[in-house]
Parts: sequence; structure tokens; C-alpha cells
Amino acid sequence: MNHKLLSVLICVHLWPVAFAQKAWTVPRTLDGKPDLQGVWSNVTITPLERPRDLGDKAFFTEQEALQYEKQVREQNNADRRDGGAQADVNRAYNDFWYDRGTKVVASRRTSLVVEPPDGHIPALTPEAQKRQADRAAAARGRQFDGPENRALTERCLVWPTAGPPMMPSFYNNNYQIVQGPGYVMVLVEMVHDVRIIPTDGRPHLPAHVRQWFGDSRGRWEGDALVVETTNFTDKNSFRGSDENLKLIEKFKRTGPETILYEFTVDDPTAFTRSWSAQIPMNRIQGPIIEYACHEGNYAMTGMLAGARADERSKE
Amino acid sequence: MRTRLAFILAGAGLLASTAPAWAHHAFAAEFDSTKPVKLRGKVTKVELINPHSWIHLDVVGADGKVTNWMVEGGSPNALIRRGFTKDALPVGTEIVADGYQAKDGSARANGRDITFPDGRKIFVGGSNPDEQPNYTPSK
Repeated sequence: MNHKLLSVLICVHLWPVAFAQKAWTVPRTLDGKPDLQGVWSNVTITPLERPRDLGDKAFFTEQEALQYEKQVREQNNADRRDGGAQADVNRAYNDFWYDRGTKVVASRRTSLVVEPPDGHIPALTPEAQKRQADRAAAARGRQFDGPENRALTERCLVWPTAGPPMMPSFYNNNYQIVQGPGYVMVLVEMVHDVRIIPTDGRPHLPAHVRQWFGDSRGRWEGDALVVETTNFTDKNSFRGSDENLKLIEKFKRTGPETILYEFTVDDPTAFTRSWSAQIPMNRIQGPIIEYACHEGNYAMTGMLAGARADERSKE
Repeated sequence: MRTRLAFILAGAGLLASTAPAWAHHAFAAEFDSTKPVKLRGKVTKVELINPHSWIHLDVVGADGKVTNWMVEGGSPNALIRRGFTKDALPVGTEIVADGYQAKDGSARANGRDITFPDGRKIFVGGSNPDEQPNYTPSK
């Protein structure tokens, strides 16, 4: 074998190795942890639960996804003025103010819920159903008595998709992750919330301490950040959860511009079984923009004044 | 297959269309669907604030009396990402706001459509067009 042929053979043999070395690997911080830092968006039009009509269809084909996207974009378009005055008022303002996204998730799953496989949130336990019914009955007819009776969102306290767990909504689906030794911080644009997650192995807060966002503890498992959150308050509820909710979130880099975010809801006193969802997060250009909810919450007085006017008109 | 797909998509769309509209708060509680208004006047103030923005304008009534109206929009964050700032709608600009008046009868309305007097929309686009400059991956 002459030298020329030998060098060609070596090149051919080594080429896949050289190529593989250029392949993407999970980036790491200076202290060796997977690097999740950056500004990310989880916007998607894929619904949390699979539309009932899709039955057992877990994935769209490419063509179906395109058609579904087109249809949902048309349905969501707040520029439309059809459907009567009540529907028109409920669309609030025109489409420019919204940012609902235009695409289904890259996997083309028909729901963000991946477990159970039917793509639906499991039924509530009988006790949880009774609790919900009791609360609804207690609130009935009193929803506009005062600000304390209004929704947590309207009171600028929490946003139902801001997390934990974090899910897409109709605008401001943006998150900034910053890491330091022993901590991960997630700045959530809605509604200007900050999650500070210790990763130093400290125990959870005592059981009697209850917080709006619960009490999060992180740990590193291979290439993933796993966050366990407990100590939720019973003043809030995620899709019917109660104060016994144990939420597990998993953040894993899947590419230079993506994180796969997964969460599992474990709350045996609220749900008849645990359930999980997957939501991709895509890197976007920052920065996060401040959402100072109380600054302009004229709507609270507007709604209560509207209710008083309704009462006067019935007198 | 085509029929089945059409069925699937029709069903999915039905769900989407019957889902409750969901802004930061209940607009139907604040504004009266029986009181549509079309306000034409000059901008006096633009408040790009959360949870919702407010545009103020002076409207001259048939009797010549000037009323300052407040028109409610959405969260300014998406606007700012799309390059819309306070300077994009200077004080003194004449606009037309099409919406519904507040239930308490005050001079407030939601801005379902806000246009220039010639009909051009001021807030054009949104999540509907495919172009989303804020979601181009950073390199």
C-alpha cells in the first residue's frame, strides 16, 4: 500500500469522527452544569389537551399540522368582528396586541399533555370535585362584591400559566434563565414573577409555610435540571390541584436554540392519577420587558363600577 | 382520509372558537355590548402600561363640548417588541376608536379597532401573520 492510498484511507476512516466532533453537545457553565441560560419563549398554538374530536390521534402529519395552524390562526384572529356584540367585546382589542403564536410544537403532537397517552388531564377525585363545587357555590352571586372576590389574575397576584408549571398563554410567553453557583433563577414575563430555585441540596421549607409559587428545589440529573416544588397555598389551584401538589419540572437542552421543558403533576388528593406535559422552549432575542401589572390596573375599578351600574339599573 | 381530516379539523376548530375569550380581565364585565361607540378625536396621552394600555383622546361632541375619552388596549410588551413605542402615536394625532362604552357610563371604551381617519389601521398585524420578528432565533 503506497502512502497516498494510506492517507486517503485514513482520511475516509477518520472523517466521521471529525464530523462527530463538530456535532452539538449540551453547553455547560464554568462549574460544569448544563447551561440553560438565555431568553426563551414557549409560545405555541398546540393546546394543553388534545381536542376531543381527534380521538387517539397523538401526532399530526405535516399536512394536517399546516391545516390545523391555518384554522386556529383564523379562529384566534381578534381582528374579526363577527359573532355578535358580546363576542366582539370579549375579544377585547385587536390582534396586534396579542402574541399567541402561529405554529404547533415541532413534534407535531396534538396536545402538550403526553401522559396519560389520551392527551387529557385525568379526572378530579370526588373530594376535589366537591371542593370545586363548594367554592363555586360560595362565590355565586358575589363575584363582583369587591376586589377580593375577583380572579387572582385580575388582582395582579398570579397568572395561571406563569407557573410553576410554566405554560404558553396569549402574550408575553417569555422567560429568562440565569444560573449561579447553587441557584437557578427564572424571570417570568407574566406577571413579572421571579422564581429563585436553590440547587444546593437544602431541604424544603417546613410544611406549614405555604406560598403562591410553592417552594422549589432543583437538582442536576445528567444533562437536565430537575425541580421539585411543594408547599403550594390552597388559595391557588392549577387545573384543580390542591395544596398537596408535588410538581416535578425538567429542563433539558435539546439543541443550540431549544430546551425541552417537561412537568409532572402529582397530587393524589386532587387527580385520579398523575399527568405530564412537554413544552418546547425556543431561544428568542431579549430582553424580557417589565410587566408591572398594578401600574395600570384601571380595569378593577372599571369592572366593579360596571357591576354597581348593573345593580342600579335593576333597582 | 381527506374527509376524516376535514372532520378532525372542523372539530378542533369548533373547540377553539367556543373557548372563552381570555384577556387579563373580563372585558364583558367592564364594557357594555349594547353601547357601541365610534370616537373620533385627537390623542392627548398614550399610556403604555400593564396589564393594559390606555389611549386618551379629546372628542368634540355635536354640541361642541369636548370630552376626554380613555380607550383600553392590551399589554404593551408585545407592541414594544414589534417596534411600537409612544412616539409611534404622537399627541395630537387624529384617530378613530371603534369599541364599546364602559358600563358605568363614564367616558371609557375598549378599542376594538383603532384607525386613522382614512381607515388605515394603527395596530396592524399581531400573532396572526407568519412574520414574528421577535421570534427569530438569536445567533
